[in-house]
Amino acid sequence: MSVRVYIPHTMQSFANDQEVLEAEGKNVGECIQNCINVYPQLYNELFKEKGKLNNYIEIYVNQESAYPNELSKPVKDGDEIHISLMLAGG
Amino acid sequence: MLNQEELQRYDRQILLPEIGRQGQEKLKATKALIAGAGGLGSSVALYLAAAGIGGLRLVDHDVVDRSNLNRQVLHWEGDIQTAKVVSAQKKIQSFNPEVSVEPRETIISEETLPQLVEGCHILVDALDNFSTRYVLNKRSLDSQLPLFHGAISRFEGEVTTIIPGRTACLRCRYKGFVPEETFPVIGVAPGIIGNLQACEVIKYIVEAGELLLNRLMRYDGLKQRFTEFSIKPNPYCDHCGQGGS
Repeated sequence: MSVRVYIPHTMQSFANDQEVLEAEGKNVGECIQNCINVYPQLYNELFKEKGKLNNYIEIYVNQESAYPNELSKPVKDGDEIHISLMLAGG
Repeated sequence: MLNQEELQRYDRQILLPEIGRQGQEKLKATKALIAGAGGLGSSVALYLAAAGIGGLRLVDHDVVDRSNLNRQVLHWEGDIQTAKVVSAQKKIQSFNPEVSVEPRETIISEETLPQLVEGCHILVDALDNFSTRYVLNKRSLDSQLPLFHGAISRFEGEVTTIIPGRTACLRCRYKGFVPEETFPVIGVAPGIIGNLQACEVIKYIVEAGELLLNRLMRYDGLKQRFTEFSIKPNPYCDHCGQGGS
């Protein structure tokens, strides 16, 4: 059971400069927690209080939006999770 | 009706079966509102003018600052402290005098937008913050006008096309307030994203190809890679879904 988790550029320095992490879990939340267990600094980049994702974080599973309730979205072996930051600039 | 100069100017694209003379006439008959005359606004406006859009209404309240010049290619050294819409109008009209350019030096708000969009057929999001984007998004829905969204930061950008009633709107992705910050950016990012927005606008007008409907195209300049994500209308969206009723 392995899920590929894509880390945005601005967070890769907290994940040993890796773009993709291999994770395990039954849903998005478990896979992300799996990544945080290895790279704890990711937590503050992804979450605000009470384990809620920061408002500017978007999650896609197999390139489909996982919003809302992203963390409980089920995943299976071979799936891909993209963590993405909403962009505001123009 | 296209004049002789226009037939010459647009000859290479009139040759395209997707455009032809009829498509060129449609482009000429279209007026676009470009919200923001910065990095995205510069490239969208320039390439829509090159394609022969009939009218551009440029809206921005800001003046040109030297720190804009790494990316806002319609503004040059001599334009510093000039209103961006005036600076942009000067370049576009010199570039293509057939395009009617209407500068509007004003803040974009719920109060100003109804009048600003009047007479425009499409809306282009070339803004630099979330809060004004949502105001523009709401106006797009209320006026049933297509909205061509682009946004950038660092070496990255995103594009999608919003058709009221058919696609997810910008607000469908809203999860709560995000504080504004000065965003770092390399100039090619708005250049690329603005061009993709212009391409969407042209295809929409001439009814060619496939639009980015419910498709969010993300560009990663560091990896030189495009990734397409599927998005969908949020039934609880407070602009286009039950949350707004």
